[in-house]
Amino acid sequence: MGLGLLASRALRPAASRLLRYPPRHGLARAIGSTPERQSPEASAAQAQPDPAPELPPRKPVAGARVHLPNPEDAIEVFVDGYPVKIPKGMTVLQACEVAGVDIPRFCYHNRLSIAGNCRMCLVEVEKSPKPVASCAMPALPGMKIKTDTPIAKKAREGVMEFLLMNHPLDCPICDQGGECDLQDQSMAFGSDRGRFTEVKRSVVDKNLGPLVKTVMTRCIQCTRCVRFATEIAGVQDLGVLGRGSGEEIGTYVEKLMTSELSGNVIDICPVGALTSKPFAFKARNWELKGTETIDVTDAVGSNIRIDSRGPEVLRILPRLNEDINEEWISDKTRFCYDGLKRQRLNDPMIRGADGRFQAVSWHDALAMVGEVIHKVGPEEIVGVAGKLSDAESMMALKDFLNRMGSNNVMCEGNGKHPNADLRSGYIMNTGIAGLEKADVFLLVGTQPRVEAAMVNARIRKTVRATHAKVGYIGPPTDSNYDHEHLGTGPQTLTELAEGRHPFCSTLKNAKNPAIIVGAGLFEREDSDAIFSAIETIAKNGNVVRPDWNGYNVLLLHAAQAAALDLGLVPQSPDSIKSAKFVYLMGADDINLKDIPDDAFVVYQGHHGDQSVYRANVILPASAFSEKEGTYENTEGCIQQTLPAVPTVGDARDDWKIVRALSEVAGVQLPYDSVGGIRSRIWTVAPNLVSVDEREPTTFSTTTMRPNTNQKISPNDFGMAVENFYMTDAITRASKIMAQCSAMLLKK
Amino acid sequence: MAAILRGALKGIKEKGLGNFLRDLKEEGYLKCLADGNLLQTKLHNIGATLVGVDKFGNKYYERLGETQHGRHRWVEYAEKGRYNASQVPAEWHGWLHHITDHTGDELLMLKPKRYGAEHRENLSGEGEAYIYHSKGHALNPGQRDWTRYKSWEPAKTDSQ
Repeated sequence: MGLGLLASRALRPAASRLLRYPPRHGLARAIGSTPERQSPEASAAQAQPDPAPELPPRKPVAGARVHLPNPEDAIEVFVDGYPVKIPKGMTVLQACEVAGVDIPRFCYHNRLSIAGNCRMCLVEVEKSPKPVASCAMPALPGMKIKTDTPIAKKAREGVMEFLLMNHPLDCPICDQGGECDLQDQSMAFGSDRGRFTEVKRSVVDKNLGPLVKTVMTRCIQCTRCVRFATEIAGVQDLGVLGRGSGEEIGTYVEKLMTSELSGNVIDICPVGALTSKPFAFKARNWELKGTETIDVTDAVGSNIRIDSRGPEVLRILPRLNEDINEEWISDKTRFCYDGLKRQRLNDPMIRGADGRFQAVSWHDALAMVGEVIHKVGPEEIVGVAGKLSDAESMMALKDFLNRMGSNNVMCEGNGKHPNADLRSGYIMNTGIAGLEKADVFLLVGTQPRVEAAMVNARIRKTVRATHAKVGYIGPPTDSNYDHEHLGTGPQTLTELAEGRHPFCSTLKNAKNPAIIVGAGLFEREDSDAIFSAIETIAKNGNVVRPDWNGYNVLLLHAAQAAALDLGLVPQSPDSIKSAKFVYLMGADDINLKDIPDDAFVVYQGHHGDQSVYRANVILPASAFSEKEGTYENTEGCIQQTLPAVPTVGDARDDWKIVRALSEVAGVQLPYDSVGGIRSRIWTVAPNLVSVDEREPTTFSTTTMRPNTNQKISPNDFGMAVENFYMTDAITRASKIMAQCSAMLLKK
Repeated sequence: MAAILRGALKGIKEKGLGNFLRDLKEEGYLKCLADGNLLQTKLHNIGATLVGVDKFGNKYYERLGETQHGRHRWVEYAEKGRYNASQVPAEWHGWLHHITDHTGDELLMLKPKRYGAEHRENLSGEGEAYIYHSKGHALNPGQRDWTRYKSWEPAKTDSQ
């Protein structure tokens, strides 16, 4: 029909039309709006005589910067007549970006390999017979690129018409509506009409699991998702099947996408083919308020944007941070938000004589706690900070309990003998981005894929790019890059320390070896001995040098690093077993059986998770999405959360509760604002105040740590994280996370 | 006029003076003195056909012939003091407004038994007025819950 229609239009050069307009090039085209566009050759010839001589310099797109390693390799190309210097090997599209011209694209993504199959980025290059796909064409010296000529415009218009041919007119019911690349670019570069009158093709939707919703008829086969899955997520789940109009994206056999990064395909999909299942039909993107904050579900501190409407968090999206999470986030970060709406503590409660909780006023609850804390001896008071605590509240808790005479303040996950003396002994000294320089990795008792998915993505990126070797000591694990399983326990570690293991030579010959130690080892009884063995390995392998510090500890929780910086170290390791008053500040993963039966337990937190059942008094606090708090991630980068939504019920910020309690207990803390508490933190750990900065460590542990006389026990290393999707109070309350662990982990 | 007087005398003779006066009051003749509208209806009724009486006691009259067309059907409300148009039940409304020629008694048979609601007059301004309360109002029986979170329930978890 299409051809017939064209033919009939061509054969009908109505006399009236011929009279009204000067005769054009042969056929009257049915598409196109301006006369110049209809006859590219003529207008090109017309434009040639006077090329604009003085062009104002343009700014690069999105602040793109060019790094010229050696100036001899630089080449000069001309984009729309404007000369730019770029390094050899850049593509035409990148050259255009440096010149400040944004080329439309669908399949090209600067973190993925080049596919060149959407043809949207066609530009005109002088002396080239046809328009070239700029994303796949290397820029050559002296190339004259034209992005704004009638040929380029016509090429884009044609590509857009072909793309829209089989794209459903779904926009009013599509979740991508308003943030859709296809919508935007068809407005900017598309025609005002199409010539397609046939039936659109349809594709069966694929079931990719509980997180990603598919509407495959909307797919334009850019294959970004396929490339993301194979290159970055490291799972070979997605692929392209069929050819021509039968081409489909899918899993080859019916299966779910089992990657911890699968949510990112929602972001990179330029159309609405892959959208978020939990967010489906919940809101339009222009109704949402974005709050730029950080994630606390693991120790990476991924930069996120919380999108909320009113009091409700509706979705979480990644924010660009090249040093931490690039532009990806893990599924736990992205989809844990529905946990913020369930099982919330919203009223202060006191457990009555009958064992039932009764909602009371803040005044009564604080008065009761203030009364009880004076009835016990100072050494019987124990405070435990939870894994989601911010630095401010931990500072307040430590100050409060110190004023009560107790020094038994700890943070869960740091073990009984935390080594807080040297900062290099508990943070990732190389930095997350620095891992890309490493050429040999030694993972000791850590499974980065479940403990810190973004760090794992970085290791995978390095392994893919430089074929770095990875050695792993720990229980057998499912990893998404090639690794050598050296052993399962301390046995192998001793062999490595004594130089008997074949991997030792690999470490020695490496230029930048990196050792990554899991924070799960903190909990072991023989942690000191194990860490000194690891330090021996580091010394022998020359891992810590003035120019390279490859000794890394991969922490598990958002609060850990700040807790150690602030010195939340218990005076006596087993103080909790003899405690009479236990203050749990969001601590849900401690062993509740350790708390004596007659102890008075105060639980301050935002979720009714595990510890509330042991509590005598519950003080409701705000979650990370509702407060302003400072967190330090595993590489020692200080970041702050910002409140995106109001607190629920009668809940208050953590540090405010502790501050109020100190006043009721008669030992008033000397600060009553966030500024005040931060200046107090500054006196304890100055690095925690410089936000968005990473304070490098000054001393390395290898030379400073005292010798230990502990014996290494032969017990194998365990899994620090059993279930990737459920690690803290928020994720355990989340329904989506429960679905994920049921369907993807079969738990 | 003479006919009215004759009728009145006949009534007194039949019922006795006391009963006659009571009936006179109940029928609203005494109110006629102050309410010209009612008096006009009473005068109109003379010689008209009583078509029916609904369950509230409203009387429906019709007079064909010498009455102006469009004024040939009317109602005398049972309530003589505070009558208003909303006291006419649905089944008589059609007949009264010339929508149909079926009387209310005929239409009553079509009324659905299961879900046909009982007629209630409009009580606005009478103390029993229907007042709309918004979805979030405490007096709305179907009050919507605008809290967007579910709180932890201590009752079902008393394990200690």
